[in-house]
Amino acid sequence: MNKSGENMKTIQTQDLSKILKPYSNEWVALSEKANKVISSGQDLSQVIKEAHKKGEKHPVVTRVPKDYGNYVLGL
Amino acid sequence: MAFKFAYKKFPQNPNDAFPDHKQAQRPVIPITVKYEDKEINYLALIDSGADFCIFHGEIGQVLGLEIKNGKKLEFFGVTGEKESAYFHEITINVGGHDKHCYCGFSEFDNSKLPYGILGQRGFFDMFKITMDYRKNRIELTAN
Repeated sequence: MNKSGENMKTIQTQDLSKILKPYSNEWVALSEKANKVISSGQDLSQVIKEAHKKGEKHPVVTRVPKDYGNYVLGL
Repeated sequence: MAFKFAYKKFPQNPNDAFPDHKQAQRPVIPITVKYEDKEINYLALIDSGADFCIFHGEIGQVLGLEIKNGKKLEFFGVTGEKESAYFHEITINVGGHDKHCYCGFSEFDNSKLPYGILGQRGFFDMFKITMDYRKNRIELTAN
């Protein structure tokens, strides 16, 4: 239960595995809901400009690595 | 007030230890990184093992920061090699809440790092965080 006593309900995972796979080693601008790719490329500012040109006012950017790999992170 | 996010799935190559894995489910959330009059929406990983927040240097550049004018910190990170980050005072917005953040902008090898890192200082000290992997659910409450 959380602080308010409400059980945590299951929610749908957002699956980006298929839509990001073709963009290895590129910056990607996703739609505001982060469910589709609007633009991509090596230059982040150009990727954002292109997304705006395509009508996406609030793109969400992410970097697609060469390989998502198996992370055990900690800085 | 709590706000909720879903876990996200990312591509992953099967390997000897996990031959059936084609996806990795990770606590990655959308945030807005703000500096002066500019802002960028960006995906970032909630990483309790990170001591601080680190974002790609290019994010800072697009926001207009002079990255190397920040305070320099050397650390060992994702690649296992010594890396540098330059810390700046910025604002992050999560779930509609603006929070001040002293955050590092790194010159990571971009071919390796997929998202920003939300660590203990600058994120965990700002929010109460509940993560439920099996229910795919991340819940944040602003402190």
